[in-house]
Amino acid sequence: MDVFSNLAQGFQTALSLQNVYLCFIGCLWGTMVGVLPGIGPLAGITLLIPATFGLDATGAIIMLAGIYYGAMYGGSTTSILMNVPGESASVVTCIDGYQMTLKGRGGAALFISAWGSFLGGTLSIIGLMLLAPTLADFAMKFGPPEMFAVLLVAFVLLGSLGSGSFFRTMPMVFIGLLVGTIGMDPLTGSLRFTHNVPDLYDGIGLLPVAMGAMGVGEILIATEESLLRIIHKVKLRELLPTRDELRASWGPIFRGSGIGFVIGLLPGSAHVLSSFVSYMAEKRLAKRPEEFGSGRIEGVAGPETANNAASGSAMIPFLSLGIPTGPAPAVMMIALLIHGIAPGPLFISKNPHVFWGLIASMYLGNVMLIILNLPLVGIFISLLRIPFRILFPVILLICLVGTYSVNTSTFELAVLLLFGVLGYFIRKMKYDMAPLILAMIIGPTMELSLRQALMRSDGSFSIFWESPITMILIGVSLLLLVWNVYRGIRPTKASWEKALEEGK
Amino acid sequence: MTKDRAASILFFLTGIYGFYFSVQLPMGRWNEPGPGVFPITLSILLLISGIAWFIVGKRGGAEKNQAEKASRRDVVKALATPLKIVGITALLIVVFNRAGYLVASTLYIFILLFWVSRYRIVVSLLLALSIGIGSWYFFQKILSVQLPKGLLFM
Repeated sequence: MDVFSNLAQGFQTALSLQNVYLCFIGCLWGTMVGVLPGIGPLAGITLLIPATFGLDATGAIIMLAGIYYGAMYGGSTTSILMNVPGESASVVTCIDGYQMTLKGRGGAALFISAWGSFLGGTLSIIGLMLLAPTLADFAMKFGPPEMFAVLLVAFVLLGSLGSGSFFRTMPMVFIGLLVGTIGMDPLTGSLRFTHNVPDLYDGIGLLPVAMGAMGVGEILIATEESLLRIIHKVKLRELLPTRDELRASWGPIFRGSGIGFVIGLLPGSAHVLSSFVSYMAEKRLAKRPEEFGSGRIEGVAGPETANNAASGSAMIPFLSLGIPTGPAPAVMMIALLIHGIAPGPLFISKNPHVFWGLIASMYLGNVMLIILNLPLVGIFISLLRIPFRILFPVILLICLVGTYSVNTSTFELAVLLLFGVLGYFIRKMKYDMAPLILAMIIGPTMELSLRQALMRSDGSFSIFWESPITMILIGVSLLLLVWNVYRGIRPTKASWEKALEEGK
Repeated sequence: MTKDRAASILFFLTGIYGFYFSVQLPMGRWNEPGPGVFPITLSILLLISGIAWFIVGKRGGAEKNQAEKASRRDVVKALATPLKIVGITALLIVVFNRAGYLVASTLYIFILLFWVSRYRIVVSLLLALSIGIGSWYFFQKILSVQLPKGLLFM
């Protein structure tokens, strides 16, 4: 009953005129950045952070979360109609979605994608609502050794769930952790890797790194490719799926919701991975798997549901443990910190109006998004008529202004460019930048927890197996490490792993 | 050079850099670990990763990577556009505060459209003016973003 009374209060907060408006703006902007290739939720969120400075924390997080899950809805449109993923999670939707468009069923694919996104998103909010407070209560018992053990599991999982192999992901994690150590040491005040540059004393900001690596790096890659794209038109009456298509979609939608929810809890490129896993699961379960790739509705319904479900469940570790599982939740965390609110075990109990207001707004946002993405799909498609030759300078300008606006610092613009170049080369070398960014965010907490734990135990490592929680978590991370090493050196790989590597 | 070998050099050099500057930091003791412990551990792990990928990259390259080895001309051609964009963006960053947002962004868009996107000069100029002024209005007036005023005091 507690949940329902809290939710009712959350709806009171979310249904205020200002918050409904902010939720709508977030969903609209999120759909737009999802539709436009090259601008993902990360750039979309970063750009609107300055616009939240005049708002209260609830309004700010409602709008920014709207951008995050709105981008997942919008990303499928370009995948289905143009064979160009608007967002990285929609890569796999191109395979069958575009084939359906070529067969004149693009409208039905868009409908099922939006419907699946709505159901997956809504189911994951229910999970978030039930699980996050419980997890936060449990995490209240955590001291430095427990926190270190949780982060250790997160890092090993990051290695196993990145889009490359474990041995490819770990060096990126190490670089991210090293970048996270730049600046003043929080325990002793020593300066590390600052080279007498005052701008480095507080460390390197996450925003320029994330925007550079994911935004600028992506643009640099995209400008190498052909900029001519064909857009297929869809009429409103073509949106209705046939009875067979509807029947075939139910199973993938519910399976996709489950797959997406579970994978979204894990660190790494969860929404990307969830759509690949869902696609491979549907292919394996299909009576005629050979038809996948030629326009099967299951190949659209499952992945699109999964990536939306993952975006909802990704909020659980971020809000209840203070551990963001991806770059976009990390930027949302920064936005909350700017408003004086620290996500973590105490977040829900100290700020119930923010948490429950956000939850209620997410239900509301999902309804807004299905309305925005079905009847109004034509308006968003018209955005794609802007030639990429004009669009890319605008996207670069958005990245630059988004970064500059937070601290009005040109030094951060230089960091943005540096990490843009690094992101470009790293991607060329078939490595993934997301683990680097996540490691950079979580690294300082991990180091602090380790050092505090050792200080508390007077230098004895036995502190890490004194409590059952740490013992279990360290045991899990060791098992995962062994499994990862085995998986990294064995010759055969699971089908979803191969698909993920091919898709990259 | 294979892609993995190139990556291995990046890991190795980062590891060397981290190691060199970490050893200059206090290491402390086990009961009070100093600020150098974490970075030096990471630097060693990066050095190991660099060496491991160098060896694996060489083997992979000998076996299969004929396709991966693009000709030098192709590489230069592919790099030309990103290099132009990086150069123009670096220039923008240098003049951003002094010239102000309106002037700097309009010039930035103009150079990108004219030099990279290959639009005609008049089209580039018109587009740059519209995007520059439009974005200034959107960021400054609607989103209330603090932008440098510079030459035009706007």
